[in-house]
Amino acid sequence: MDKLPVAAVITIQAEVFSILLISTVLLIFFFFANRAFKKADPFAKPSGMVLLCTILVGFFDTLTTDNMGKKAARIYAPYIGALALFMVVSNLSGLIGLAQPTANYSVTLTLALITIFLVQRTKIRTNGFKGYLHGFIEPFPPFIIMNFFGTIAPLISMSLRLFGNITSGTIIMTLFYTFTGFVSGLVPVIGGFDFIGVAVAPVLHAYFDLFAGVIQTYIFIMLTTIFIGNELPQE
Amino acid sequence: MDIGQGLVAIGAGLAVLTGMMTGIGQGYAAGKAVEAVGRNPEAENKIRSMLILGAAIAETCAIYGMLIAFLLIFVF
Repeated sequence: MDKLPVAAVITIQAEVFSILLISTVLLIFFFFANRAFKKADPFAKPSGMVLLCTILVGFFDTLTTDNMGKKAARIYAPYIGALALFMVVSNLSGLIGLAQPTANYSVTLTLALITIFLVQRTKIRTNGFKGYLHGFIEPFPPFIIMNFFGTIAPLISMSLRLFGNITSGTIIMTLFYTFTGFVSGLVPVIGGFDFIGVAVAPVLHAYFDLFAGVIQTYIFIMLTTIFIGNELPQE
Repeated sequence: MDIGQGLVAIGAGLAVLTGMMTGIGQGYAAGKAVEAVGRNPEAENKIRSMLILGAAIAETCAIYGMLIAFLLIFVF
């Protein structure tokens, strides 16, 4: 590959705009959820927005409590919930034609970095700074190499798992549309209308966008809670 | 398109073959998890988190293969 000029390196990528758009949409959602909760009658049956938010909060609460215990769950559940909502909306945003933020490696690397920093912070809080440093030479000193790579391996695997799933979905859909467009172009009468793509694409979109996006979100938040929960002091 | 690019594509294809054994291992783990839940339904939450952790670690090898394939395609 030739050397890129400087202007090409610092272009603004399309993902920046979709991140801004998704954040704005989520902020508006949170604002209206807050307003609905303030107006809601605590003794009536929840409905509409209140019911949706109750289900979401309850889901994230049980998930974090199962993996971290009650005390830590109160601290981490809001972060896990916000992370999951942002991630699921960004994974599904490909369906409405946005550039998916999670198909950009910078975004997934950032999200995985936050998880790794939280894990290290929890480790330091549990063992103290001296105990944390001592943990690197745990069974005996040569193990420092293994422990060091064990610390940064989750960073690579977590970020690449999300990135790889979303990107491969995007690439496969592009290949599929190109192929069906080519095949439809051979049919003379309809003038290149991509009828095979229209017929088959929904199934592939359901798998690559809906299923993979939601499953990868679930796995990411599950791994985050498990990694942090492993470092917490045993109750 | 010269022959080097074709060789890079073959190398990337070979690197992604790491996913084969990962698929077998993850399927085995999932089957065992189903067995465990069938035997001991009240431990479902613990089994689920263990399954996801184990499957994630098993998947690491496939992810490294994918990383190599990406490097081969986009860097060379």
